[in-house]
Amino acid sequence: MKRSIALGALATLLVVGALSWFLLTRQPISASSVQSPLLGKVAPAVSGAELGGGTFSLAAHRGDVVVVNFWSSWCEPCKQEAPNLSTFAWQQRAHKVFVIGVVFNDTVASAETFARYYGSLYPSVIDAQGAIAFHYGVTSPPTTFVINAKGIVAATLVGPTTVAQLTQVVNRVAQ
Amino acid sequence: MTLVWLGRISIYLACFAALGGIGAQVLTLRRGTPSRALLWSVVSLVGVASAFVVMEFAFVTHNFSLAYVAENNATFTPLLYSLTGVWSALEGSILLWSLVLGGLLSAVVVRYRREASDPVVVWATLVMFVVAAFFLLVMAGPADPFVHNPAHVLQGQGPNALLQDNILVAIHPPLLYTGFVGFTVPFAFAIAMLATGRVHERWPLEQRHWTVLAWGALSVGIVLGSWWSYQVLGWGGFWGWDPVENAALLPWLTATAYIHSVVVQDRRGLFRVWNLSLAVATFALTILGTFFTRSGVLQSVHAFASSTLGPVLISFFFVTVGLGVALIAWRGDALRTATGVEHPLSREGLFVANNIVFVGFAIVVLLGTVFPLLYQAINGVQVTVGTPYFAAIAGPAGIFLLALMAVAPVVPWRSVSGATTWSRIRTTAWVSLATTVVLLLAGVHHWPVLVAVFLAVAAAGAATRTLVGVVQAARQRGDLWSAWRAPSTAGMVVHLGVVLLAIGIVVSTSYTSRSEVTLASGQRTVVGGQTIGFGGFAQVSNALEHQTQLVVTVGGRTIRPAITTFNGRSSQSVGTPAIDSNLLRDVYVTFDAIGQNSSVSGAQVQTGVAAGSVVLGVTVEPLLAWLWIGGLFIGFGSALSMGRRRHRDEVGQ
Repeated sequence: MKRSIALGALATLLVVGALSWFLLTRQPISASSVQSPLLGKVAPAVSGAELGGGTFSLAAHRGDVVVVNFWSSWCEPCKQEAPNLSTFAWQQRAHKVFVIGVVFNDTVASAETFARYYGSLYPSVIDAQGAIAFHYGVTSPPTTFVINAKGIVAATLVGPTTVAQLTQVVNRVAQ
Repeated sequence: MTLVWLGRISIYLACFAALGGIGAQVLTLRRGTPSRALLWSVVSLVGVASAFVVMEFAFVTHNFSLAYVAENNATFTPLLYSLTGVWSALEGSILLWSLVLGGLLSAVVVRYRREASDPVVVWATLVMFVVAAFFLLVMAGPADPFVHNPAHVLQGQGPNALLQDNILVAIHPPLLYTGFVGFTVPFAFAIAMLATGRVHERWPLEQRHWTVLAWGALSVGIVLGSWWSYQVLGWGGFWGWDPVENAALLPWLTATAYIHSVVVQDRRGLFRVWNLSLAVATFALTILGTFFTRSGVLQSVHAFASSTLGPVLISFFFVTVGLGVALIAWRGDALRTATGVEHPLSREGLFVANNIVFVGFAIVVLLGTVFPLLYQAINGVQVTVGTPYFAAIAGPAGIFLLALMAVAPVVPWRSVSGATTWSRIRTTAWVSLATTVVLLLAGVHHWPVLVAVFLAVAAAGAATRTLVGVVQAARQRGDLWSAWRAPSTAGMVVHLGVVLLAIGIVVSTSYTSRSEVTLASGQRTVVGGQTIGFGGFAQVSNALEHQTQLVVTVGGRTIRPAITTFNGRSSQSVGTPAIDSNLLRDVYVTFDAIGQNSSVSGAQVQTGVAAGSVVLGVTVEPLLAWLWIGGLFIGFGSALSMGRRRHRDEVGQ
C-alpha cells in the first residue's frame, strides 16, 4: 500500500513535469518565412469582387503595408490562422496596415460560411479562376505575402501565421 | 496620467496586503500569534476593487490615456459594452480574476472567523493568499493593466466586434471566472488537510460546499457560452471542441467527479486520498486552461488575446501539481482507510464507476487538446483534432453516465440486494420502456436517440423518486418547506437538469435539418415542416452598427436575420442570425445572399437569383431549447445546495 502511493505520486510528477516542460518549450504556432522569387519584385495585381460585396484593388493601397493572405475554406491550417488574421487586422487598422484575403480553389458559398464562422474582420477577394494565385505562385493555402508601402513584395510566409509573427514582419517592413 | 497611478497604487496595495497576509499566516502557524487574516484579506480586496473601479471609470469616461482603454474602447462604445470592455482582453481579465479571488478570500476568512486560529483554516487562507499574490504580482509586472498611452487618441479602437454584439458578454465571462477562481477554495482546503493531516472532521463537507458553488457558476457559464455562440456565430451549433471550450470543460469534469466521490467520503470514510487529488487536479486544470487560452500556443476561435504569460502560467501549474503530489506522497498513507468498496454494484461502487468515466473523459479531452502540439513536435506537420475524435468518446460516456444516473440514486450503500433495487426502479423502467416503444412506433428509428431517451427517462425517474421521498418525509415532519433544504434535493434537481440537457443535445443534433431557400418578397415556402415567408428589407442604424434586416416570418411570427456592419472597422460585415424558438423546435435563419442587381452593404450577391430575392439559410433543430432549460435547472440546483442541510449520518466529530 505504502509503495503504491509513493510510486503513483512519482509517476504523476514525471508525467506532469514532462507535460509542463513540453508546453514551456512550445513556440506560438507560426509560418516559416521563405525565399520566394517574388521577393523584392513589384507585387502582381490583386483585384476583383470581395466576398459579401464590394471590390478591392491592391493598386489603391499604395502607401499602405498590405498583408495578402491566400486561403480556402477546406484548408485546416487556414482555420487555425483565421482568428489571428482578424485580431491582427483589428489591431493594425489605424496604422496604415491593410489585411486582404484571397480565396481560391473554393466555392463562394463555403468561403462565405467560413468567413462568417470565424467572424473574419478583413475582406477577401474572390479569385474565381485562380489567376491571382497563379501570378503569386501559390499552390497550397495558407500562404501570406507582405507588401510594403511602395508595392514591393517584402516577405513570404508559408503556413499558418500568428499575430506575433505578422506584427514582427510588418514592423520590419514598415521601417 | 492620474488614473495610471491611481490604478497602479491600488494594485501595489493589494499586492502588499496579500504578501502581508502570507507573512501573518506563517507567523500564526509557527508562533501561534492570533490570526490577522481578516485585516490583510480586506485590505487586499479593497486594493484590487479600487483598481477595478478605476479601470471601469476609465472605460466609461473613454479615458484613452490608458493604453488598455485605447485598445478596447471607443468614444462610440455604448455604456454596457464599456462596462464589459474591462474584461475583453488579457490584462483586464486578470484584474477581474483577482477581484473574484479577493472576494472569495475575504468570504472564506469571514465565514471561519471564529476558528481563525485552527491550523486547517490558517493553512487554507495561507494558500489562498499565495494564489492571490501570484495573480496580483502578474498584474504588477508582466500584465500591467495600467500602462500609460502617450499618443493623443481621438476615438479609440473599440472592443473586438464579437464582444460587442450580445449582452451575454456581461454574464458569461464573470460566471466562468467565478467557477475557475472558485476552485481555489477546495484546493486550499486540500493543501490544508494534507499539511495538518486532518481529513476526518467537517472540512471535507465544507470543501464540497465551496466546490459546488464554483461548479454551479462554471456549469451555467459553460451553458451560457454555448448559448452565446449559438446566437452569434451563425452556424446553428453550440459546441465545437475548441481548445478554449475544452479548457473550461476539463476542470468541470474533475470537479464533477469530486462532488460525487466526496459524498462517499462523508458517508463511508473512503476515497480520502483520491478526493484530495481531485481537488488539486481541478485547480491545476484551471491554471492549465488559462495557459491554453492565453499563451497563443494553441489556436482557437477565442483568440481574443495572446500574450507572453505562457511560461509564468505553466510554471505555476507545475508548482501547484508538484506541491499537491509531494504532500500526498508524504501524508497519503496516514490518510488511507483499511476498508474498501465491498460490492461493485453498491452505491459507492457506482460512484467509483462515475469517477472513472469523468476522469477518463477528462484525460481523453486533455489528450485531444494537446495532441496537435505533440504531433507537430514529432512530425513537423500541423494537424487539428476535430469533433469526430471527441464525439466518439463523448457519446458512449454520456450514455454510460445516464445509465448511472438511472440506477445509482436508488441503489443502497454497502450491500446489494437485487430484489430491493429492482423494486425501486421497476416503475421507471416500465415507463422508460413504454416511452421508447411509443417513439419507435411514432417512427423514430435512430438508435442512439432511442437509447438516450430510454436512459434519460429512467434517470429522471430515479431523481423524481428521490425527490418524492424527500417531500413525503418533509410532510411527515409537518414542515414542507424543509424539503428544499434536504440533502438530496439539490443534487436531484441538478440531475433533472442534466437529463433535459442530454435530451436537448441528442435530439437536436440527431434531427437537425439544414437547407437554403430562395424567396422573393411576399413569397413563402415550407422547409423542414416550417412555413417560411419573406416580407422585405428593413434598415436599422445606430451609433454602433448598421443593419440590413430581412423581415422573415416563421409560421405567424416575425424574426429579422440581418447583415451587420460595425462602426470603427473596415467595411467587412458579419451575418447576424435570427432564431424563432419554442419548446418543440428552434428555427434558425441566416441571411446568406441576395439576388442580382441588388445592392445591400455587405451582402453576398448570388448569380442566378432574381433581383429583389434573397437566399436564406434555414436550420430546424428540434427540442434545442431544452438544452438551455436544463442549464437553468443546473444553476437552480447548485443554488439550492447552498442552503443544504447535513445528512443525519454524515460524519462530524
